[in-house]
Amino acid sequence: MNSKSFLQNIHNTRDEEISCSECFDLTSQFVERELTIGDHEIKMPHLRQHLNQCSSCREEYETLRDLVRLENEGEILEVDNLKNLIP
Amino acid sequence: MTSPRTNEEWLNDLRASDGTQDAAIGDLRNLLFRAVLFFFSRNLDEFRGLARDEILQLAEDCAQEALIAVMNHTSDFRGDSKFTTWAYKFAINKALMAARHESWKGISLDELSSLSNHTLVEWVLRDKWPVSSSDQSMMQAEVIEVMRDVIEHELTDKQRRVLIMMVFNEVPMDEVVRHLGTNRNAIYKMLHDARRKLKNGLQARGFEVAEMLVLFSISR
Repeated sequence: MNSKSFLQNIHNTRDEEISCSECFDLTSQFVERELTIGDHEIKMPHLRQHLNQCSSCREEYETLRDLVRLENEGEILEVDNLKNLIP
Repeated sequence: MTSPRTNEEWLNDLRASDGTQDAAIGDLRNLLFRAVLFFFSRNLDEFRGLARDEILQLAEDCAQEALIAVMNHTSDFRGDSKFTTWAYKFAINKALMAARHESWKGISLDELSSLSNHTLVEWVLRDKWPVSSSDQSMMQAEVIEVMRDVIEHELTDKQRRVLIMMVFNEVPMDEVVRHLGTNRNAIYKMLHDARRKLKNGLQARGFEVAEMLVLFSISR
């Protein structure tokens, strides 16, 4: 992590933050609402705060969001096509 | 193509005791395998040491682990999303852990968990903070010194090790979890406590982090 990102994380530190497990529990709901009604309409500040602090949870969230978006749009590749992307 | 099921149908089929369950498990496993391959295909750099067959076998293993996790947690599903969206999380989680482990295997984390005299300075200099005046340069040095003081004297040994590994040496969280034999929640809490101590320590010594960010970002 670069020093600016970490200073930003220190700045955004709260006394109470949700855990990775709590984040995991909320992510699927968050992703579907984000893709349905838009990011700005969702009031889940504790989840957002955790995603900003935790790169592992954030990467899982971003992957889930992209996967579900492609699936909703009918553009997700099937298994055999995904296998072909592995060199 | 897997036929779409409602959430209720997924749960009923996965709990059935006849061939219906086998079909549902097969469909679910295929969806989880697809999610794992989706993650792998976006992170191919992490598998540079593996042949194609080994990567595909690792994906199969992740999908199987995810399937077991989903089956063990179906009672936790609250229905606030599609069942498949909820299940994908387990596959992506297993895929990310496997990718990070593959990428970091063979690297000794013991060597990356201690604070050398140069670690902090090198870490700050790596970013090439803009220094347009001697005042800024002096402030940067003071901030480094405060952070070093807090890290050395106010953090617990475990908080210090986690911070040094994850922040200064960019060790992935799941590898720190593996190294310390704990779980993500515990590691996140240690890092959270370390951040709070650093924030309080900087403020107690007259540094507002928000002002530092603004000052240090000038004339980039």
